Amino acid sequence: METFLFITTAIVAVGAALAMVLSSNAVHSALFLILNFCSVAILYFLLRAPFLGAVQVTVYAGAIMVLFLFVIMLLGAENAELGEEKIGWQKPAGLILGVALLAEIGYVAYRGTKLIDAPVADATNIGAPTTISAKLFSTYLLPFEVISILLLIAVVGTVVLTRRRVVAREERQS
Amino acid sequence: MAELIWLVPLLPLLGVVINTLLGLNDLRRSRANAHHDHGHDHGHGHADAHHGHSDNPRAKRSGLIASLMVGLGFVLTLVTLVELLGMPAPTTLGENNRWFDVTYWNWMAFGDLKIPFGFLIDQLSVTMMLLVTGVGTLIHLYAIGYMSHDERPTRFFVYLNLFIVAMLMLVMGNNFVMLFLGWEGVGLCSFLLIGFWFEQRDPPWASVKAFVTNRVGDFGLLMAMFAIYALARKPDGTFLHSLIFREVLDQGTVFSLQQYSTFFLGTQYTAAGAIAFMLLLGVTGKSAQIPLFVWLPDAMAGPTPVSALIHAATMVTAGVYLMIRTHPIFELAPSVQSTVTFIGVATALVAASIALGQYDIKKVLAFSTVSQLGFMVAAVGMGAYVAAMFHLLTHGIFKALLFLGSGSVIHGFGNEQDMRKMGGLRKKMPTTFWTYIVGTMGLIGFPLVSGFWSKDEIIGHAFDHDHRTVGILLIVGAVLTSFYMGRQISMVFFGEQRDQHIHAHESSRWMTAPLIALALLTLASGLINVPGWHPLTTWLEPIVEEEAAKFHLNIAAIVTILGLLAFAAGFYLYNWAAKHKRIKPNQRDLLHHWGGDFYAILEEKWGFDALYNAVLVKPYKALASFFGKFFDVKIIDGIVNGTAELVGLSGRGLRTFQSGYVRSYALMFVIGVVIVLGFFALR
Amino acid sequence: MISTNAYVLLSAILFTIGVVGVLVRRNVIIMFMSVELMLNSANLALIAFSRARAESDGQIMTFFVIAVAAAEVAVGLALLVSIFRAKKTTNIDDVNTLKG
Repeated sequence: METFLFITTAIVAVGAALAMVLSSNAVHSALFLILNFCSVAILYFLLRAPFLGAVQVTVYAGAIMVLFLFVIMLLGAENAELGEEKIGWQKPAGLILGVALLAEIGYVAYRGTKLIDAPVADATNIGAPTTISAKLFSTYLLPFEVISILLLIAVVGTVVLTRRRVVAREERQS
Repeated sequence: MAELIWLVPLLPLLGVVINTLLGLNDLRRSRANAHHDHGHDHGHGHADAHHGHSDNPRAKRSGLIASLMVGLGFVLTLVTLVELLGMPAPTTLGENNRWFDVTYWNWMAFGDLKIPFGFLIDQLSVTMMLLVTGVGTLIHLYAIGYMSHDERPTRFFVYLNLFIVAMLMLVMGNNFVMLFLGWEGVGLCSFLLIGFWFEQRDPPWASVKAFVTNRVGDFGLLMAMFAIYALARKPDGTFLHSLIFREVLDQGTVFSLQQYSTFFLGTQYTAAGAIAFMLLLGVTGKSAQIPLFVWLPDAMAGPTPVSALIHAATMVTAGVYLMIRTHPIFELAPSVQSTVTFIGVATALVAASIALGQYDIKKVLAFSTVSQLGFMVAAVGMGAYVAAMFHLLTHGIFKALLFLGSGSVIHGFGNEQDMRKMGGLRKKMPTTFWTYIVGTMGLIGFPLVSGFWSKDEIIGHAFDHDHRTVGILLIVGAVLTSFYMGRQISMVFFGEQRDQHIHAHESSRWMTAPLIALALLTLASGLINVPGWHPLTTWLEPIVEEEAAKFHLNIAAIVTILGLLAFAAGFYLYNWAAKHKRIKPNQRDLLHHWGGDFYAILEEKWGFDALYNAVLVKPYKALASFFGKFFDVKIIDGIVNGTAELVGLSGRGLRTFQSGYVRSYALMFVIGVVIVLGFFALR
Repeated sequence: MISTNAYVLLSAILFTIGVVGVLVRRNVIIMFMSVELMLNSANLALIAFSRARAESDGQIMTFFVIAVAAAEVAVGLALLVSIFRAKKTTNIDDVNTLKG
């Protein structure tokens, strides 16, 4: 059951990722990415990380991807790749590098089988919200607070970046 | 007075400071005025900035300050002299108790070596100090008149006072390093003053030539000092840890210099000989002897008071002073003593002959100075220290007089120095003429005038001590001297003025008063060591341990008669030539008509300049231009520019990677990731 | 039980797809989404390792990655909007003013 679920989900995830990269329409890409995120979330559940699976769906697939879709709609950037490819060798070089990277990672995974092989049996509750929150608010308290500041900065930065110049000019005139 | 002796050099130094501050103040004010006057017509405040148009009031102000300082120094020196005279006279030979040695502080200390800052005041240094401050005061006063039209009189007097300070350091210092301080100081002031009119063409080059030539001599002096420090031992075998004269020149210590010797080419050379030779090299530089005399004639490019003070009366005699001071070393090396005599005689003859071929009034006197210095050096070489010192003093006075007289002529003759344009100036400049005649009498040894006594003492000493050849050659030198002085007097003061464009006039009182004073001194200064009384010999006897010279009437008579005949010959020859219009500006001398190429050689100064140009200056310039035009441009700049070009080239190559395409950057990034990961995976 | 290796392999495949996406696509937004895919694949590997070691630290790391990614997306998209306003394009190759 678990194996079947993993294989199916993995195939969906890879397929969605490929479709995301290959589809010419950015909206389709975004939707495929949501599909990918959701399938990865299922894998999180399989890996006994239910809390992160939930976060993945709500934050990633929900909030972030909605932001993407908003921007795509706002800019009308569904079909941005009109016109000639300016760097001819970029596409083949990218593919070759991708294959090489995959081969290297596969080789490492193959060689390192013994090190990361056997899953631990009684790791049932490591992904429970209580466990995570207990660690988050004790051992990782400082990074947690720093992250909150980072998010604040991001909010401010976003506002500054997207503020229209025209508004600024009007303010100066008045 | 011993407690106040430091005032003697300090007063001129004070003059330097005061005049420097005044000069800076003037500069500041004139800048402020120039700024303030900007946009206006030239105001009255600028009139004094124009050369030769009106008196510069600053000349009188700065000159009086400077003269006062030197004059006070002279008074203090006189007091010192009286005090030394008050000390008990030595009773036995070799004893000296008329001196004091004051050390003020420890000037330098390196390891064992300790150099004190102190003065040695004895008969010799007081004599030199009297000459420096006495003649110095008169020349300072004269310079007030001479520099009255100059743009920078304050600077001039600063340099002049600084020279007096350095010269006093030279003669008063109680050790070799103090002497060297003064030695270099006078060299520096000489450089500054020769090149005083640096906006003209020749003076800067002349000053550089003087400075560089003197460096060669200074090398010798330095080497001698090093050798003395390294080798000299006290009688008990310990090394000296100072270069104080009284320790170094102590009999026992000097003898230790003979312990070191080496055989080279079958001859034995002692350390004393080597040191004496090095000192001699220093002397040839500073006192303008063969082979290093070439700078002194060119040094006449400086203002005439400088020529009189530095390049006739005082600085150039420093070499003679040095040799008399270190005579115990020379006496241990008879071969070097003969070399000294030889150089002195050769210089006396060569320079006197060159003086025949000069048309520039100051050049004649310059070569005359070189020649007279040759007399002194020859005397020192023969061991006639008192005679040398005597001649040094009389020469310092009458040559200063002659130079100041020539300066008066130049000043009153529109800054023209060519004797062929002059003539008949005796009527227009009577004071200058008569004082010049007195100076000439001193130089040619007119009976009973200063040079008569001092020169005859040298020549008489030569015959007395079995240096007959030297004596005869020096008589020849004296005859030549008389001849060129006859020529000069005739060309300058007699006949008709040949260049009628120049309006000649007598100089101001500032200039004629020192001339008269020096003329009186010239007439009287023979008394310093007049035979039968010879106070100078008695005075210097404890230092040089020399007996009084005998006076030889026959030698004196021969020299005088020959000298007067030569003077008359020169005088009447050129009077005749002037009458028959044989002297014209830009035309060669009468003697060239008869002497031909030999006279051309004299005009060309025996080819010394040409020789040095060919052997030293040209290769040096070639080397310099090799380094300047090739080595620096190609190699040094090549390295620098090459580095820049390499960086530029690599930049040009690397900029192709900065295509502006973010995807390319990402690609490179991924290439890096693949390589690094591959490195770790395959390790 | 699925082995950790399988998850790591899946993560590698997804990561490579993301890399190729960044290198090949010219649309800034799709490049951006490819970056998100790469982050996501890293998260997957982290959680797989977390399970393998029976420690929750890997999951917490993932949590942080998601938070940072959220911030990054916000700023990144803001930049995109700015660039679009200036250049009227989302084609990354049109934004090459800073070339050497």
